[in-house]
Amino acid sequence: MEHANHTALILVPLMSVVIIMMILMARKKQLFIRRIQGLGAIDEAIGRATEMGRPMLCCIGIGGLDVPTLQALAITSYIIKSSARFNTRAIVPVYDPQTYPIVEEAVREAYVSEGRPEQYLADDVRFLSNRQFAFAAATAGIIYREKVAASFLFGLFAAEALIFAETGQQVGAIQVAGTPSTTQIPFFIAACDYVIIGDEFYAASAYLSREPTLLGSMVGQDIAKGILITVILFGAALATFAPVLGKSFGALFNK
Amino acid sequence: MPVNAPSGPHIGMILLFALCSVAVLGLLMLLPQKIRRPIIRAITFLGGLYAAAEFFLPTYPQPTADNPEAIGNFLTPSVVPFGNFTNAILGWTVGLGVINLCQVHGKRIMKGAAGSFNSVAFFLSLILMTCIGILQKIHPNPLNKNIYDVLFTGALSNLDATMFSIVAFYIVSAAYRAFRIRSVEATLLLVTALIVMLGQISIGQWLTHWLPMTGFWHNIRIESIRSWILEIPNSAATRAIGFGLGIGLLAVALRIWLGLERGSYFDS
Repeated sequence: MEHANHTALILVPLMSVVIIMMILMARKKQLFIRRIQGLGAIDEAIGRATEMGRPMLCCIGIGGLDVPTLQALAITSYIIKSSARFNTRAIVPVYDPQTYPIVEEAVREAYVSEGRPEQYLADDVRFLSNRQFAFAAATAGIIYREKVAASFLFGLFAAEALIFAETGQQVGAIQVAGTPSTTQIPFFIAACDYVIIGDEFYAASAYLSREPTLLGSMVGQDIAKGILITVILFGAALATFAPVLGKSFGALFNK
Repeated sequence: MPVNAPSGPHIGMILLFALCSVAVLGLLMLLPQKIRRPIIRAITFLGGLYAAAEFFLPTYPQPTADNPEAIGNFLTPSVVPFGNFTNAILGWTVGLGVINLCQVHGKRIMKGAAGSFNSVAFFLSLILMTCIGILQKIHPNPLNKNIYDVLFTGALSNLDATMFSIVAFYIVSAAYRAFRIRSVEATLLLVTALIVMLGQISIGQWLTHWLPMTGFWHNIRIESIRSWILEIPNSAATRAIGFGLGIGLLAVALRIWLGLERGSYFDS
């Protein structure tokens, strides 16, 4: 089993305290957050699908019941709420049977919260397969057959990422993607119209909902990043100047 | 009798546990949402607290038969049973997935919708694979094994490989679009990709093979430039993204753990 080393023992609680403090602060005062272009494009993509009268695809990736998938589901929930207002159909393919009931519930709730429960179609939340390429084949098939006008790819992806993105490109869909899988980001950048990178993926629900609690957490993330950058710069300076400054630094670290 | 074969009391315990789980789930579903949410939050908090405590509490040597150098704390021995519990839940949810598939494809056949022959193929495949899978476990004779091999290794695995191989063609078409010179950034990308690709192949390495292997000129051999691009700027960017993702993950995990998450399925 993995256990905390000294660095994790200091940094993780420190960053956690910062994030929680900012969440509590955000409930009392308005915080400023920077603009994220990729997330701003979500409404544009929904609008395009509405104008074209074609459905949208919201894929939450091939993760199990974990934090990235829950985050992807939170973004999907926002997309469906927005699309429900314009009566635009959203198809949600599901890879993991564990997440299926949660996705179904979240999609239904999204329609209900917009006062459009009749728009929810059970067939549009589809468990396809929990084999990676069977899922890829089935999702690509949906993109082709339904000629989706917008494709939202948020969540964990592996080699199938490019299959989805290129198929969407072929049918002329506007595509917005975001993934914590760093190896798939270049494929999305090459094939999608808008890509959110790195921690923007985890900031998405805050950015979209403007909920104070989530905004506070987003500001906390930025401060934690600042702490990390300071530690890195300090470490780089020590590593650079240690030979010049002599043994005193070495003695400090050997204690 | 094999050592790990389930004995009578074991099966009884499993059935009792399954019945209790169903009863608890049923009870949760009957409860109004106002009461259900705090209960789910409390369970989430306790689960998160367990994982955090197991990770952060001081460790001491806990040698096992498999790993004599293992370390842990008093919570570590229960990690595996908790993992097994998760797997048991996963087993139930596979059934939910199959039910959904049957509903979607069943409706399509009943309506006689376009492409309903695909739904018939789904049912045939489902029934065939289930029957052969069970038969192969109960009667592992050569015939059953061969049929299973033909269906699984012969058909399914090759279909998977076919889909995977399509990625190669998609990479080419995506690369073509990405490398088209439309801006300064695209040009930089093209040049970098060209150097990395040339540095990877023998023809590319041959282009600068006449440069010495040592000294300053070694640095401008194409494979040296490729290694520098991959190990310095590329690693720095990937690590920066990784740090951001790690902090983002921590923030979302904290929000879910402490019940601070808002929106979508967490709160109205």
